[in-house]
Amino acid sequence: MTFIERLTAIDRRIIYLIIALVTLLPMLFPIAQKVRVMSPVDKCFNAVDTIHADKALIIDFDYTPQDMPELEPMAFAMLRHTFTRRIKILVLCLYVQPLGLAQSALDQISAEFNARAQSNADSIIYGRDYVFLGWQPPPLVPIIGMGESIIRVYPRDYYGNQTDTLPLMKRIKNYGNVELLVSLSSSSIPGSWLQYAQNRFGLKVSAGVTSVSAGDFYPFLQSGQFSGLVVGMKGAAEYEELLTRKLNFHTRRKAGESLSSITFAHLAIILFIIIGNIGFFMKRRKK
Amino acid sequence: MILSHDVWTWIGALLSLAIFSFLYKDNPFYKTAEHIFVGITNGYAVTFYWHNILVPVLFNPLFRGRLILIIPLIIGALYFTRFIPKVSWMVRIPIGITIGYYTGVSIPANIEANIVKQVQGTILSPANFRAWHAGSWGILWSVLLFIGVLCVVSYFYFSREHKGLLKLTSRIGIVFIMIGFGAAFGYTVMGRISLLIGRLNFLFGNWLGIIK
Repeated sequence: MTFIERLTAIDRRIIYLIIALVTLLPMLFPIAQKVRVMSPVDKCFNAVDTIHADKALIIDFDYTPQDMPELEPMAFAMLRHTFTRRIKILVLCLYVQPLGLAQSALDQISAEFNARAQSNADSIIYGRDYVFLGWQPPPLVPIIGMGESIIRVYPRDYYGNQTDTLPLMKRIKNYGNVELLVSLSSSSIPGSWLQYAQNRFGLKVSAGVTSVSAGDFYPFLQSGQFSGLVVGMKGAAEYEELLTRKLNFHTRRKAGESLSSITFAHLAIILFIIIGNIGFFMKRRKK
Repeated sequence: MILSHDVWTWIGALLSLAIFSFLYKDNPFYKTAEHIFVGITNGYAVTFYWHNILVPVLFNPLFRGRLILIIPLIIGALYFTRFIPKVSWMVRIPIGITIGYYTGVSIPANIEANIVKQVQGTILSPANFRAWHAGSWGILWSVLLFIGVLCVVSYFYFSREHKGLLKLTSRIGIVFIMIGFGAAFGYTVMGRISLLIGRLNFLFGNWLGIIK
């Protein structure tokens, strides 16, 4: 067997092992990597940052446990952003599985802020600063129904409280009181927000999506339908970078820490693709 | 290295390793983990729907006297007629209602969001040049997008043989399609590596305590 033949016949398990190693080693021995913020993330950050005090932001948590590495850092960064800027938020899920993840993210980030708070005004208080509306199926019902009345679609929040008794809900009635919606999703749901909430009610929509689905959503950014787009772990790292750069917010940057792993894994895969192609062409020439 | 004392972390870690074992070859550990995953997912969904939808939204109000809810109950129950061969045709009723509703709602919305707005985004207008946030380069990107869209659409025009100008545009269309596929593949790789990072973080961080 010639060297070239060997190259094209590497056992796939060896390739898996190499990919695992090049991904793991930068995690064990971190290498600081500069994060360049791209325009789609910058637009999303600005769209959130410029929300008026009398308006609210809706965050649609629609990622499942298998998408957590990409979308959870985004959700954390966005919650930190809104809590720092005191932007009022409504959180909801259009599917069942993300409910627990949304609750855990809200609990963790609000506790982080409350641990530092010196007074009631500094604290992040449920019902005053944010409301977790929970889940109401099927997805079209809340997407369209909230344009008329949020309380009618969600008579009770996730914790069973009557929503009309919550202070924040007394002034956030429908999309007229909402400046932006951010859909953090691993499915086609951001498109549904455009189709039904934006077309009918003129709601501004941004999205945070997984890398796999990025190609489906970029056309909506260029056409101006999305106010911003955050893609995958790289996008989350850029959002974390903006938090530090623009708001001087310093905390652990989960997505940023993983960038060197992504870089080395990509380099390894590029190398494998080149080797595979060289082997293929050499073999063909021999024949 | 501080090993986790949480039993759920251990269960999660062992199940993750069982799933990863498939990369070596198919084996009983992988099959067990796969079946546990499917079973738990379905069990969770069924109980959640029962406790959060069927009981509070349908059964409780129905038994309190909102008799109008018998109609959706019957329509929903017709799905089960599929299991009775003699009346299985009745399953078409709920399917027809569902398809009719979603088609009616989605056709105008789809045309507006996916066709009208997208065509507007392709037109060579100053607003679209500015949308790239690339200064005077915005014109170039818009022209490139315009040519790309026309060429790709021409590739999918099968009513005439691809000869002459149509051959040229469809060839250029293929180049744009291939670039799109390449970008999609690159993003897919990034997504999969991110998932691997998530699992490695869990195994070497939450479980073994090696990663801080």
